[in-house]
Amino acid sequence: MKTDNITNGEVLIKTIGLHKSFGSNHVLKGIDEEILKGEKVVIIGPSGSGKSTFLRSLNLLEEPSAGEIWFDGECITDRKCNVDRVRTKMGMVFQHFNLFPHLTIRRNITLAPVKLGLMDEEAANANADRLLIRVGLLEKAESYPGQLSGGQKQRIAIVRSLAMNPKVMLFDEPTSALDPEMVGEVLDVMKELANEGMTMVVVTHEMGFAREVGTRILFMDEGIILEQNTPKEFFANPRQKRTIEFLSKVL
Amino acid sequence: MDFLKDIFKDIIDKLNTALIVEGRWKMLLGGLGNTLVIAFFALIIGVILGIIVAVIKVAASMNKKSKILAVLDFLSNIYINLIRGTPVVVQLMIMYYVILVSTTNSVLVAIISFGLNSGAYVAEIMRAGIQAVDKGQTEAGRSLGLSSLVTMKEIVLPQAIKNILPALANEFITLLKETSIAGYVAISDLTKAGDRIRYSTYDPFTALLIVAGIYLVLVLGLARLFSMLERRLRRSENR
Ligand SMILES: Nc1ncnc2c1ncn2[C@@H]1O[C@H](COP(=O)(O)OP(=O)(O)OP(=O)(O)O)[C@@H](O)[C@H]1O
Ligand SMILES: [Mg+2]
Repeated sequence: MKTDNITNGEVLIKTIGLHKSFGSNHVLKGIDEEILKGEKVVIIGPSGSGKSTFLRSLNLLEEPSAGEIWFDGECITDRKCNVDRVRTKMGMVFQHFNLFPHLTIRRNITLAPVKLGLMDEEAANANADRLLIRVGLLEKAESYPGQLSGGQKQRIAIVRSLAMNPKVMLFDEPTSALDPEMVGEVLDVMKELANEGMTMVVVTHEMGFAREVGTRILFMDEGIILEQNTPKEFFANPRQKRTIEFLSKVL
Repeated sequence: MDFLKDIFKDIIDKLNTALIVEGRWKMLLGGLGNTLVIAFFALIIGVILGIIVAVIKVAASMNKKSKILAVLDFLSNIYINLIRGTPVVVQLMIMYYVILVSTTNSVLVAIISFGLNSGAYVAEIMRAGIQAVDKGQTEAGRSLGLSSLVTMKEIVLPQAIKNILPALANEFITLLKETSIAGYVAISDLTKAGDRIRYSTYDPFTALLIVAGIYLVLVLGLARLFSMLERRLRRSENR
Protein backbone atom coordinates (compact mmCIF):
# COMPACT_ATOMS: atom_id res chain seq x y z
CA MET A 1 0.00 0.00 0.00
CA LYS A 2 2.68 2.44 1.03
CA THR A 3 4.64 2.56 -2.19
CA ASP A 4 1.60 2.24 -4.45
CA ASN A 5 1.11 5.92 -5.01
CA ILE A 6 4.69 6.82 -5.83
CA THR A 7 4.08 7.86 -9.41
CA ASN A 8 6.50 5.91 -11.59
CA GLY A 9 9.66 7.37 -10.10
CA GLU A 10 9.22 10.93 -11.31
CA VAL A 11 11.56 13.32 -9.46
CA LEU A 12 9.78 16.23 -7.77
CA ILE A 13 12.59 17.74 -5.70
CA LYS A 14 16.29 17.39 -6.23
CA THR A 15 19.13 19.00 -4.32
CA ILE A 16 22.66 19.06 -5.70
CA GLY A 17 25.62 19.83 -3.44
CA LEU A 18 23.43 21.82 -1.06
CA HIS A 19 25.40 23.83 1.50
CA LYS A 20 24.20 26.32 4.09
CA SER A 21 26.23 28.37 6.54
CA PHE A 22 25.05 30.85 9.12
CA GLY A 23 28.11 33.05 9.43
CA SER A 24 30.90 30.67 10.38
CA ASN A 25 28.47 27.92 11.38
CA HIS A 26 28.50 25.39 8.53
CA VAL A 27 25.11 23.72 8.97
CA LEU A 28 24.44 21.84 5.72
CA LYS A 29 27.53 20.19 4.28
CA GLY A 30 26.64 19.07 0.82
CA ILE A 31 23.31 17.31 0.45
CA ASP A 32 22.49 15.44 -2.75
CA GLU A 33 19.01 14.08 -2.56
CA GLU A 34 16.05 13.25 -4.78
CA ILE A 35 12.47 13.17 -3.65
CA LEU A 36 10.03 11.42 -5.95
CA LYS A 37 6.40 12.28 -6.53
CA GLY A 38 4.21 10.54 -3.98
CA GLU A 39 7.05 9.76 -1.57
CA LYS A 40 6.64 10.37 2.14
CA VAL A 41 10.14 11.17 3.27
CA VAL A 42 10.67 11.34 7.01
CA ILE A 43 13.75 13.17 8.28
CA ILE A 44 15.05 12.34 11.72
CA GLY A 45 18.25 13.12 13.56
CA PRO A 46 19.67 14.75 16.65
CA SER A 47 18.95 18.35 17.57
CA GLY A 48 21.05 20.84 15.63
CA SER A 49 21.86 18.37 12.86
CA GLY A 50 20.30 20.65 10.25
CA LYS A 51 16.89 19.02 9.68
CA SER A 52 14.93 22.27 9.83
CA THR A 53 17.54 24.10 7.81
CA PHE A 54 17.38 21.43 5.10
CA LEU A 55 13.58 21.49 5.01
CA ARG A 56 13.44 25.28 4.98
CA SER A 57 15.98 25.38 2.16
CA LEU A 58 13.62 23.37 -0.04
CA ASN A 59 11.18 26.30 -0.29
CA LEU A 60 14.00 28.83 0.05
CA LEU A 61 12.99 30.17 3.44
CA GLU A 62 16.69 29.64 3.97
CA GLU A 63 18.80 30.69 1.04
CA PRO A 64 21.42 28.05 0.27
CA SER A 65 25.05 29.17 0.45
CA ALA A 66 25.95 26.83 -2.39
CA GLY A 67 24.39 24.17 -4.54
CA GLU A 68 21.20 23.81 -6.53
CA ILE A 69 17.62 22.92 -5.78
CA TRP A 70 15.33 21.67 -8.51
CA PHE A 71 11.57 21.53 -8.10
CA ASP A 72 9.24 20.08 -10.69
CA GLY A 73 11.85 20.33 -13.42
CA GLU A 74 12.90 23.90 -12.63
CA CYS A 75 16.08 25.15 -10.98
CA ILE A 76 14.60 27.29 -8.21
CA THR A 77 17.97 28.49 -6.92
CA ASP A 78 18.44 30.20 -10.27
CA ARG A 79 18.44 34.00 -9.99
CA LYS A 80 15.74 34.32 -12.62
CA CYS A 81 13.35 31.95 -10.86
CA ASN A 82 10.26 33.56 -9.32
CA VAL A 83 10.42 32.22 -5.79
CA ASP A 84 6.93 33.42 -4.83
CA ARG A 85 5.37 31.42 -7.66
CA VAL A 86 7.33 28.29 -6.72
CA ARG A 87 6.25 28.58 -3.09
CA THR A 88 2.58 28.48 -3.99
CA LYS A 89 3.20 24.86 -5.00
CA MET A 90 5.06 23.92 -1.81
CA GLY A 91 3.00 23.89 1.34
CA MET A 92 4.76 24.31 4.67
CA VAL A 93 3.56 23.49 8.16
CA PHE A 94 5.47 24.91 11.13
CA GLN A 95 6.02 23.64 14.63
CA HIS A 96 4.30 26.73 16.08
CA PHE A 97 1.43 26.79 13.54
CA ASN A 98 1.97 30.46 12.64
CA LEU A 99 -1.70 31.11 11.98
CA PHE A 100 -2.52 34.77 11.45
CA PRO A 101 -4.05 35.84 14.78
CA HIS A 102 -5.81 38.92 13.41
CA LEU A 103 -7.77 37.00 10.78
CA THR A 104 -10.64 34.54 11.09
CA ILE A 105 -9.94 30.89 10.35
CA ARG A 106 -11.73 31.28 7.03
CA ARG A 107 -9.63 34.33 6.13
CA ASN A 108 -6.45 32.51 7.21
CA ILE A 109 -7.27 29.91 4.57
CA THR A 110 -8.48 32.20 1.79
CA LEU A 111 -5.99 35.08 2.14
CA ALA A 112 -3.25 33.69 -0.10
CA PRO A 113 -5.43 32.21 -2.88
CA VAL A 114 -7.41 35.45 -3.11
CA LYS A 115 -4.47 37.87 -2.83
CA LEU A 116 -2.55 35.91 -5.44
CA GLY A 117 -5.53 35.98 -7.78
CA LEU A 118 -5.78 32.19 -7.97
CA MET A 119 -9.43 32.19 -6.91
CA ASP A 120 -12.12 34.78 -6.41
CA GLU A 121 -13.51 35.32 -2.93
CA GLU A 122 -16.46 33.03 -3.51
CA ALA A 123 -14.50 30.10 -4.90
CA ALA A 124 -11.91 30.47 -2.14
CA ASN A 125 -14.63 30.39 0.51
CA ALA A 126 -16.21 27.30 -0.99
CA ASN A 127 -12.79 25.66 -1.11
CA ALA A 128 -12.14 26.62 2.51
CA ASP A 129 -15.47 25.10 3.57
CA ARG A 130 -14.67 21.88 1.76
CA LEU A 131 -11.27 21.65 3.47
CA LEU A 132 -12.68 22.58 6.88
CA ILE A 133 -15.30 19.84 6.61
CA ARG A 134 -12.54 17.43 5.79
CA VAL A 135 -10.72 18.13 9.07
CA GLY A 136 -14.00 18.47 10.99
CA LEU A 137 -13.58 22.13 11.85
CA LEU A 138 -16.22 23.84 9.72
CA GLU A 139 -17.92 25.29 12.78
CA LYS A 140 -14.69 27.20 13.54
CA ALA A 141 -14.71 29.07 10.24
CA GLU A 142 -15.57 32.42 11.79
CA SER A 143 -13.47 31.94 14.94
CA TYR A 144 -10.05 33.44 15.50
CA PRO A 145 -6.89 31.35 16.02
CA GLY A 146 -6.73 32.45 19.66
CA GLN A 147 -9.94 30.55 20.31
CA LEU A 148 -8.61 27.20 19.09
CA SER A 149 -6.68 24.42 20.80
CA GLY A 150 -3.18 23.57 19.60
CA GLY A 151 -4.36 20.53 17.72
CA GLN A 152 -7.10 22.49 16.00
CA LYS A 153 -4.62 25.23 15.09
CA GLN A 154 -2.27 22.77 13.46
CA ARG A 155 -5.09 21.14 11.49
CA ILE A 156 -6.05 24.61 10.26
CA ALA A 157 -2.42 25.33 9.37
CA ILE A 158 -2.37 22.16 7.26
CA VAL A 159 -5.63 23.15 5.61
CA ARG A 160 -4.29 26.66 4.91
CA SER A 161 -1.41 25.13 2.95
CA LEU A 162 -3.67 22.66 1.18
CA ALA A 163 -5.86 25.51 -0.06
CA MET A 164 -3.05 26.36 -2.47
CA ASN A 165 -3.18 22.88 -4.06
CA PRO A 166 0.52 22.26 -3.42
CA LYS A 167 2.53 19.53 -5.10
CA VAL A 168 4.43 18.79 -1.93
CA MET A 169 3.87 19.41 1.77
CA LEU A 170 6.80 20.18 4.06
CA PHE A 171 6.30 19.59 7.77
CA ASP A 172 8.74 20.82 10.43
CA GLU A 173 7.98 18.98 13.67
CA PRO A 174 4.24 19.56 13.30
CA THR A 175 3.36 17.86 16.58
CA SER A 176 6.25 18.95 18.80
CA ALA A 177 4.46 21.95 20.28
CA LEU A 178 1.26 20.02 21.03
CA ASP A 179 -0.02 18.58 24.27
CA PRO A 180 0.23 14.79 24.02
CA GLU A 181 -3.52 14.27 23.74
CA MET A 182 -3.64 16.42 20.61
CA VAL A 183 -0.85 14.74 18.68
CA GLY A 184 -3.14 12.02 17.34
CA GLU A 185 -5.64 14.29 15.63
CA VAL A 186 -2.88 16.04 13.68
CA LEU A 187 -1.13 12.81 12.73
CA ASP A 188 -4.48 11.45 11.52
CA VAL A 189 -4.88 14.35 9.12
CA MET A 190 -1.33 13.79 7.89
CA LYS A 191 -1.94 10.09 7.39
CA GLU A 192 -5.05 10.82 5.38
CA LEU A 193 -3.07 13.23 3.26
CA ALA A 194 -0.42 10.56 2.74
CA ASN A 195 -3.02 8.04 1.66
CA GLU A 196 -4.34 10.44 -0.94
CA GLY A 197 -0.94 10.42 -2.59
CA MET A 198 0.44 13.78 -1.45
CA THR A 199 4.22 14.03 -1.63
CA MET A 200 5.40 14.77 1.89
CA VAL A 201 8.66 15.67 3.58
CA VAL A 202 8.32 15.44 7.34
CA VAL A 203 10.77 16.32 10.08
CA THR A 204 9.49 14.59 13.20
CA HIS A 205 10.31 12.81 16.42
CA GLU A 206 7.22 10.60 16.05
CA MET A 207 8.90 7.30 15.25
CA GLY A 208 5.52 5.55 15.06
CA PHE A 209 4.46 7.89 12.29
CA ALA A 210 7.81 7.46 10.52
CA ARG A 211 7.42 3.69 10.56
CA GLU A 212 3.78 3.62 9.57
CA VAL A 213 3.52 6.39 7.00
CA GLY A 214 7.07 7.00 5.78
CA THR A 215 8.24 5.45 2.54
CA ARG A 216 11.82 6.43 3.25
CA ILE A 217 13.72 7.59 6.31
CA LEU A 218 16.60 10.04 6.10
CA PHE A 219 18.88 10.20 9.11
CA MET A 220 20.66 13.54 9.35
CA ASP A 221 23.74 14.09 11.44
CA GLU A 222 26.02 17.11 11.48
CA GLY A 223 24.79 18.57 8.22
CA ILE A 224 24.77 15.47 6.05
CA ILE A 225 22.38 12.64 5.37
CA LEU A 226 24.32 9.94 7.11
CA GLU A 227 22.05 7.02 6.38
CA GLN A 228 18.76 6.32 4.63
CA ASN A 229 16.50 3.38 4.06
CA THR A 230 12.95 2.12 3.99
CA PRO A 231 11.42 2.39 7.45
CA LYS A 232 11.40 -1.34 7.91
CA GLU A 233 15.07 -1.76 7.09
CA PHE A 234 16.08 1.43 8.81
CA PHE A 235 14.63 0.54 12.17
CA ALA A 236 15.53 -3.17 11.94
CA ASN A 237 19.10 -2.81 10.67
CA PRO A 238 20.61 0.60 11.26
CA ARG A 239 24.16 0.53 9.91
CA GLN A 240 25.95 3.61 11.20
CA LYS A 241 27.14 3.89 14.76
CA ARG A 242 25.58 7.35 15.14
CA THR A 243 22.25 6.03 13.88
CA ILE A 244 22.26 3.20 16.35
CA GLU A 245 23.12 5.61 19.14
CA PHE A 246 20.31 7.94 18.14
CA LEU A 247 17.74 5.19 17.82
CA SER A 248 18.65 3.75 21.18
CA LYS A 249 17.76 7.12 22.68
CA VAL A 250 14.46 7.73 20.94
CA LEU A 251 12.96 4.25 20.68
CA MET B 1 -19.84 82.72 54.51
CA ASP B 2 -18.21 86.08 54.04
CA PHE B 3 -14.89 84.37 54.04
CA LEU B 4 -15.87 82.17 51.08
CA LYS B 5 -17.34 85.15 49.30
CA ASP B 6 -14.04 87.00 49.63
CA ILE B 7 -12.10 84.12 48.16
CA PHE B 8 -14.55 83.81 45.31
CA LYS B 9 -14.35 87.51 44.59
CA ASP B 10 -10.60 87.35 44.70
CA ILE B 11 -10.52 84.55 42.15
CA ILE B 12 -12.87 86.36 39.82
CA ASP B 13 -10.72 89.45 40.16
CA LYS B 14 -7.55 87.63 39.31
CA LEU B 15 -9.09 85.85 36.36
CA ASN B 16 -10.45 89.15 35.18
CA THR B 17 -7.04 90.75 35.35
CA ALA B 18 -5.32 87.83 33.68
CA LEU B 19 -7.84 87.33 30.90
CA ILE B 20 -10.19 90.22 30.31
CA VAL B 21 -8.28 93.39 31.17
CA GLU B 22 -6.53 94.82 28.08
CA GLY B 23 -7.98 91.90 26.09
CA ARG B 24 -5.29 89.54 27.38
CA TRP B 25 -7.33 86.46 26.41
CA LYS B 26 -6.59 87.35 22.78
CA MET B 27 -2.91 86.88 23.52
CA LEU B 28 -3.59 83.47 25.03
CA LEU B 29 -5.79 82.48 22.13
CA GLY B 30 -3.12 83.55 19.66
CA GLY B 31 -0.54 81.57 21.62
CA LEU B 32 -2.78 78.52 21.70
CA GLY B 33 -3.25 78.85 17.96
CA ASN B 34 0.50 78.85 17.36
CA THR B 35 1.00 75.90 19.67
CA LEU B 36 -1.66 73.89 17.85
CA VAL B 37 -0.37 74.83 14.40
CA ILE B 38 3.20 73.90 15.31
CA ALA B 39 2.20 70.63 16.98
CA PHE B 40 -0.18 69.60 14.20
CA PHE B 41 2.12 70.21 11.26
CA ALA B 42 5.16 68.88 13.11
CA LEU B 43 3.14 65.75 13.78
CA ILE B 44 2.38 65.30 10.10
CA ILE B 45 6.03 65.78 9.15
CA GLY B 46 7.05 63.46 11.99
CA VAL B 47 4.70 60.69 10.93
CA ILE B 48 5.64 60.86 7.25
CA LEU B 49 9.34 61.00 8.03
CA GLY B 50 8.95 58.28 10.66
CA ILE B 51 7.21 55.92 8.25
CA ILE B 52 9.87 56.47 5.58
CA VAL B 53 12.76 55.87 7.98
CA ALA B 54 11.05 52.85 9.58
CA VAL B 55 10.40 51.31 6.16
CA ILE B 56 14.06 51.83 5.22
CA LYS B 57 15.27 50.23 8.43
CA VAL B 58 12.91 47.26 8.24
CA ALA B 59 13.61 46.71 4.54
CA ALA B 60 17.35 46.91 5.16
CA SER B 61 17.16 44.34 7.93
CA MET B 62 15.19 41.95 5.72
CA ASN B 63 17.33 42.48 2.66
CA LYS B 64 20.92 42.52 3.81
CA LYS B 65 22.35 42.33 0.30
CA SER B 66 21.07 45.59 -1.12
CA LYS B 67 23.78 48.26 -1.17
CA ILE B 68 21.31 51.12 -1.60
CA LEU B 69 19.33 50.02 1.45
CA ALA B 70 22.54 49.68 3.44
CA VAL B 71 23.47 53.29 2.66
CA LEU B 72 19.96 54.55 3.44
CA ASP B 73 19.98 52.55 6.66
CA PHE B 74 23.30 54.11 7.62
CA LEU B 75 21.97 57.61 6.99
CA SER B 76 18.82 56.80 8.96
CA ASN B 77 20.93 55.74 11.91
CA ILE B 78 22.89 58.99 11.83
CA TYR B 79 19.63 60.94 11.76
CA ILE B 80 18.09 58.98 14.63
CA ASN B 81 21.21 59.23 16.77
CA LEU B 82 21.66 62.95 16.17
CA ILE B 83 18.05 63.69 17.07
CA ARG B 84 17.85 61.39 20.07
CA GLY B 85 21.29 62.36 21.29
CA THR B 86 20.70 66.11 21.58
CA PRO B 87 18.15 68.22 23.47
CA VAL B 88 15.23 69.43 21.43
CA VAL B 89 15.82 73.04 22.58
CA VAL B 90 19.30 72.94 21.12
CA GLN B 91 17.95 71.47 17.88
CA LEU B 92 15.39 74.24 17.69
CA MET B 93 17.98 76.95 18.23
CA ILE B 94 20.41 75.44 15.73
CA MET B 95 17.58 75.40 13.22
CA TYR B 96 16.63 79.03 13.99
CA TYR B 97 20.03 80.64 14.39
CA VAL B 98 22.11 78.55 12.00
CA ILE B 99 20.45 76.35 9.41
CA LEU B 100 17.34 78.37 8.65
CA VAL B 101 18.70 81.73 9.75
CA SER B 102 17.51 83.37 6.52
CA THR B 103 13.89 82.36 7.15
CA THR B 104 11.76 85.07 8.76
CA ASN B 105 8.81 82.79 9.53
CA SER B 106 9.76 81.44 12.93
CA VAL B 107 6.62 79.28 13.22
CA LEU B 108 7.74 77.48 10.08
CA VAL B 109 11.18 76.97 11.60
CA ALA B 110 9.56 75.48 14.69
CA ILE B 111 7.35 73.17 12.59
CA ILE B 112 10.35 71.86 10.68
CA SER B 113 12.46 71.49 13.79
CA PHE B 114 9.81 69.67 15.84
CA GLY B 115 8.85 67.61 12.79
CA LEU B 116 12.43 66.43 12.31
CA ASN B 117 12.65 65.66 16.00
CA SER B 118 9.42 63.72 16.13
CA GLY B 119 10.28 61.76 12.97
CA ALA B 120 13.21 60.06 14.68
CA TYR B 121 11.06 58.90 17.59
CA VAL B 122 8.15 57.84 15.39
CA ALA B 123 10.58 55.86 13.22
CA GLU B 124 11.92 53.96 16.21
CA ILE B 125 8.42 53.30 17.54
CA MET B 126 7.30 51.90 14.20
CA ARG B 127 10.43 49.87 13.57
CA ALA B 128 10.22 48.30 17.01
CA GLY B 129 6.50 47.62 16.56
CA ILE B 130 7.03 45.90 13.23
CA GLN B 131 9.99 43.86 14.40
CA ALA B 132 8.13 42.75 17.50
CA VAL B 133 5.75 40.75 15.31
CA ASP B 134 6.79 37.08 15.40
CA LYS B 135 9.10 36.12 12.53
CA GLY B 136 6.96 33.04 12.01
CA GLN B 137 4.17 35.28 10.72
CA THR B 138 6.35 36.53 7.88
CA GLU B 139 7.57 33.02 7.18
CA ALA B 140 4.02 31.69 7.00
CA GLY B 141 3.02 34.47 4.60
CA ARG B 142 6.05 33.99 2.38
CA SER B 143 5.73 30.21 2.36
CA LEU B 144 2.22 30.62 0.95
CA GLY B 145 3.74 32.49 -1.97
CA LEU B 146 2.81 36.01 -0.87
CA SER B 147 5.35 38.69 -1.78
CA SER B 148 7.21 40.49 1.00
CA LEU B 149 5.11 43.58 0.32
CA VAL B 150 1.75 41.79 0.58
CA THR B 151 2.98 39.90 3.63
CA MET B 152 3.94 43.18 5.25
CA LYS B 153 0.63 44.83 4.40
CA GLU B 154 -1.80 41.99 5.12
CA ILE B 155 -0.06 40.12 7.93
CA VAL B 156 2.66 42.09 9.71
CA LEU B 157 1.38 45.68 9.78
CA PRO B 158 -2.12 44.88 11.11
CA GLN B 159 -0.45 43.15 14.04
CA ALA B 160 2.24 45.81 14.46
CA ILE B 161 -0.35 48.58 14.77
CA LYS B 162 -1.33 47.22 18.14
CA ASN B 163 2.25 47.52 19.39
CA ILE B 164 2.69 50.92 17.79
CA LEU B 165 -0.42 52.83 18.73
CA PRO B 166 0.10 53.29 22.49
CA ALA B 167 3.72 54.41 22.04
CA LEU B 168 2.69 56.71 19.24
CA ALA B 169 0.06 58.33 21.46
CA ASN B 170 2.78 59.01 23.99
CA GLU B 171 4.99 60.53 21.35
CA PHE B 172 2.21 62.87 20.17
CA ILE B 173 1.54 64.01 23.70
CA THR B 174 5.25 64.61 24.29
CA LEU B 175 5.45 66.57 21.06
CA LEU B 176 2.54 68.81 22.05
CA LYS B 177 4.13 69.59 25.38
CA GLU B 178 7.59 70.07 23.92
CA THR B 179 6.35 72.87 21.68
CA SER B 180 6.28 74.94 24.88
CA ILE B 181 9.93 75.76 24.24
CA ALA B 182 9.02 77.61 21.04
CA GLY B 183 9.44 80.85 23.02
CA TYR B 184 13.20 80.32 22.79
CA VAL B 185 13.04 81.40 19.16
CA ALA B 186 10.67 84.33 19.63
CA ILE B 187 7.41 82.55 18.92
CA SER B 188 4.31 83.56 20.88
CA ASP B 189 3.05 80.11 21.70
CA LEU B 190 0.76 79.26 24.59
CA THR B 191 3.55 79.20 27.18
CA LYS B 192 5.01 82.48 25.93
CA ALA B 193 1.59 84.13 26.03
CA GLY B 194 1.27 82.99 29.63
CA ASP B 195 4.68 84.53 30.33
CA ARG B 196 3.59 87.87 28.93
CA ILE B 197 0.46 87.86 31.08
CA ARG B 198 2.56 86.96 34.08
CA TYR B 199 4.83 89.95 33.51
CA SER B 200 2.05 92.46 32.97
CA THR B 201 -0.20 91.30 35.85
CA TYR B 202 2.51 90.57 38.44
CA ASP B 203 0.42 87.48 39.26
CA PRO B 204 2.38 84.40 38.21
CA PHE B 205 0.07 81.95 39.93
CA THR B 206 -3.05 82.70 37.89
CA ALA B 207 -1.25 83.01 34.57
CA LEU B 208 0.64 79.76 34.97
CA LEU B 209 -2.41 77.94 36.26
CA ILE B 210 -4.43 78.96 33.22
CA VAL B 211 -1.65 77.85 30.85
CA ALA B 212 -1.21 74.55 32.66
CA GLY B 213 -4.97 73.99 32.58
CA ILE B 214 -5.13 74.47 28.82
CA TYR B 215 -2.23 72.03 28.20
CA LEU B 216 -3.89 69.52 30.49
CA VAL B 217 -7.18 69.68 28.61
CA LEU B 218 -5.37 69.26 25.27
CA VAL B 219 -3.34 66.30 26.47
CA LEU B 220 -6.26 64.55 28.12
CA GLY B 221 -8.31 65.06 24.96
CA LEU B 222 -5.54 63.55 22.84
CA ALA B 223 -5.13 60.61 25.21
CA ARG B 224 -8.88 60.01 25.12
CA LEU B 225 -8.88 60.03 21.33
CA PHE B 226 -6.15 57.41 21.23
CA SER B 227 -7.69 55.11 23.78
CA MET B 228 -10.91 55.19 21.75
CA LEU B 229 -8.92 54.26 18.66
CA GLU B 230 -7.20 51.42 20.47
CA ARG B 231 -10.45 50.08 21.79
CA ARG B 232 -11.95 50.09 18.32
CA LEU B 233 -8.92 48.25 16.96
CA ARG B 234 -9.12 45.66 19.68
CA ARG B 235 -12.82 45.15 19.14
CA SER B 236 -12.39 44.56 15.41
CA GLU B 237 -9.98 41.69 15.88
CA ASN B 238 -8.39 39.16 18.15
CA ARG B 239 -11.43 38.19 20.12
N1 LIG C 1 18.56 31.60 11.40
C1 LIG C 1 19.67 31.05 11.92
N2 LIG C 1 20.73 31.82 12.22
C2 LIG C 1 21.85 31.29 12.73
N3 LIG C 1 22.01 29.99 13.01
C3 LIG C 1 21.00 29.16 12.74
C4 LIG C 1 19.76 29.64 12.18
N4 LIG C 1 18.93 28.60 12.03
C5 LIG C 1 19.61 27.51 12.46
N5 LIG C 1 20.85 27.82 12.88
C6 LIG C 1 21.86 26.88 13.39
O1 LIG C 1 21.95 25.83 12.49
C7 LIG C 1 22.13 24.60 13.16
C8 LIG C 1 21.09 23.61 12.70
O2 LIG C 1 19.82 24.08 13.08
P1 LIG C 1 18.49 23.34 12.66
O3 LIG C 1 17.39 24.15 13.22
O4 LIG C 1 18.47 23.08 11.21
O5 LIG C 1 18.60 21.97 13.45
P2 LIG C 1 17.51 20.84 13.65
O6 LIG C 1 18.10 19.58 13.17
O7 LIG C 1 16.23 21.26 13.03
O8 LIG C 1 17.38 20.80 15.23
P3 LIG C 1 16.09 20.61 16.17
O9 LIG C 1 15.81 19.14 16.23
O10 LIG C 1 16.53 21.15 17.48
O11 LIG C 1 14.97 21.38 15.55
C9 LIG C 1 22.09 24.91 14.64
O12 LIG C 1 23.40 24.99 15.10
C10 LIG C 1 21.45 26.26 14.70
O13 LIG C 1 21.93 26.99 15.77
MG1 LIG D 1 14.34 21.86 13.80
